[in-house]
Amino acid sequence: MHEAGSGTEGIRAATLRPIDIVIVDLGLPDMDGSEVVERIRSWSTVPIIVLSVRSTEAQKVRLLEIGADDYVVKPFGIAELLARVRVALRRQSRAASGEPAVTVGPLTIDLAARAVTLDGVRLALTPKEYRLLQVLAQHAGNVVTHQHLLKEVWGSIHMQDTHYLRIFVRKLRQKIEPKADSPKILATELGVGYRLAYSGAEGETPVLAPAKAES
Amino acid sequence: MPQTVKYKRLRKELRAMALTTGLVGATTLLIFAIIWQIGLTRGTVAYFIPVLIAATRWGIVSALYAAILGVLASAFFFFPPRFSLTITDPQEVINLVLYVFVAIVVSQLATRLKRQLETSHRREIEIRDLYDFSRRLAVAFDVADIQSAIEDHLTTVTQRKVVLFAGARESGTAGKRRNAGAAPPEVLVEVKNFAAAGRDNVTGVTVAGDAGETWLVRAVSPKSPEFGLIAINFGRHSQDDSDELRARVDAALADATATLERLGIAHAINEAHMRSQTDQLREALIGSVSHELRTPLASILGAATVLSTAPALQNEPKLQALVQDVRSEAERLNEDIQNLLDASRISSDGIKPQAEWAEPADIIDSALERCRSRMAGHRIVLNLPSDLPLIHVDPVLVKQALVQIFDNAAKYSSPSSQITVAARARDGRMVLSVSDQGAGLSATEQPQIWDRFVRGERQAATTSGSGLGLWIANAFIAANGGRMNAVSDGPGKGATLAIELPVTQAAVPHMESDADE
Repeated sequence: MHEAGSGTEGIRAATLRPIDIVIVDLGLPDMDGSEVVERIRSWSTVPIIVLSVRSTEAQKVRLLEIGADDYVVKPFGIAELLARVRVALRRQSRAASGEPAVTVGPLTIDLAARAVTLDGVRLALTPKEYRLLQVLAQHAGNVVTHQHLLKEVWGSIHMQDTHYLRIFVRKLRQKIEPKADSPKILATELGVGYRLAYSGAEGETPVLAPAKAES
Repeated sequence: MPQTVKYKRLRKELRAMALTTGLVGATTLLIFAIIWQIGLTRGTVAYFIPVLIAATRWGIVSALYAAILGVLASAFFFFPPRFSLTITDPQEVINLVLYVFVAIVVSQLATRLKRQLETSHRREIEIRDLYDFSRRLAVAFDVADIQSAIEDHLTTVTQRKVVLFAGARESGTAGKRRNAGAAPPEVLVEVKNFAAAGRDNVTGVTVAGDAGETWLVRAVSPKSPEFGLIAINFGRHSQDDSDELRARVDAALADATATLERLGIAHAINEAHMRSQTDQLREALIGSVSHELRTPLASILGAATVLSTAPALQNEPKLQALVQDVRSEAERLNEDIQNLLDASRISSDGIKPQAEWAEPADIIDSALERCRSRMAGHRIVLNLPSDLPLIHVDPVLVKQALVQIFDNAAKYSSPSSQITVAARARDGRMVLSVSDQGAGLSATEQPQIWDRFVRGERQAATTSGSGLGLWIANAFIAANGGRMNAVSDGPGKGATLAIELPVTQAAVPHMESDADE
């Protein structure tokens, strides 16, 4: 682990050694944390998690758009941060190994076979519903912004039509959630987007189900 | 140039004379026609018609000319001996003298009337301009609006190009930026000098521009430098004309500054300057407060969570409880900081809802998620129909309002009691309600709960709080076009707090097709 006290130092450190994950605090003495995210993202695919005081939802969306994988709002518990780090690392390793299936609690999405099963039972999804789930599964555990989902599923001219998303998420939840009125798999990040993550009955922070390939 | 003007006036006068002559001729023909048709011989009265027309349209000179022509025509055509200017009958002479006398009086009266009409018409335009001006000032949002209103008003009144430079303090820099290239460099230099000298020169200075034009530079009001400076393009004019123009500018400026002073604009401009500075300061302060306070809180919370899971403390229930206290108090401190920040945001009119189509169930869910630890002991009963319409609101603000209500419900009811959360859509409104079985509200408390820093007297001693919660919730809901209300059967009988939000069902944009692909 390397600790850097300023933005420039952090960026230099990230170029000097192979790193697994970057955690950036938005309040840096020399530059805005979002600039660090932008700079590192310009040449690296390393997972980036942003720590911030409660910033507005618009700022969170912007951070995700410029390349942050996730954010944790201050003050946070260590468990929450660790869960986010684990998710980001897992996504990275899954992308590297080309593992096709994403498992979230009782739900499994096989991206290669385009098959979705809930507790082993195959679900019948319409093409748009599958596409929505696919985009979320590709970022399993991380927030996907409304704008990103709308662009990927409906095309960039519908980027502002959040009602499309609401209606399809409602339909999708009825199919993939064990209990549609208390969603445990397709979680809402109010004002930002959606997150595919399983929150067990007693778990305080949403975590992915026990994984086969833990790094 | 004065020659051309005089020539113009002469031409106008001649044209009026010619037209008058025509009118008298026409009247003569008319009288002839009357004599032939009906046999009336005393038709000279008809010569009043051209006199009146000339007086009202072209002024006293033409009117007198018409009167003389009328006398001559009557003497020549109608009084015996005909076709000669001599008049034999003394009766007719008296008639003619009377006619001339009446014609002069009438033409004077008519001309005066005409002048009064013109004056009142001009005055009406001026008043309308002033009225427009004060109306624009009334709706002016910031200093720039006020300045462009002043500029436009002076342009209308003087019919000349007017450039306004912002407050003398800024040495015309702001104005220069706004009106880049609107005035020649010589004028800009003079504006700068004028502002720098800070002289209370009422008449102003004239500058010769590069294209031979003269510009007048002066303060809008010598008493209030806040109104700035103006430069007026006089064009290429003689001394006489520019004196006249200068008088008009003086009058217009006097009217304008009277209006400005009446509306207290100087004060407002100063205040706006100050406010924008305070706003910036406050923004910076809020930013650094939230960062500086939250960063150590994050460390405290982080350390507390690590401690609570530390193996060394597993068998130390007392220490565990202490760690738990540290954690919950740190969390509460965080909420209080957030409340104070929200309150200062509301006070500075800073809530700008980011409306989007939102799922009401999601909003309730995420509010419940936030308050989970606070309401851990309570029985939560959810009553949400599955076919709730989408609402067009800022979901984050509504969630924060709900969090405040949950917080209150949890705080003022016993830990094992029930909290019912319900949502229903009715009559174009979505109602989210939260009912508890707690302390309830007395009749005197009910109207007060929405006020800032008000806390129930029964509760103030036993529970902590800032008295900001419901005030914040109310402001957030109001920003979304909704309203809140509270119902209680009385102290100790629980309370129901409800959020009402508009559902604009008709405005839900139509989806291209419900079917996929």
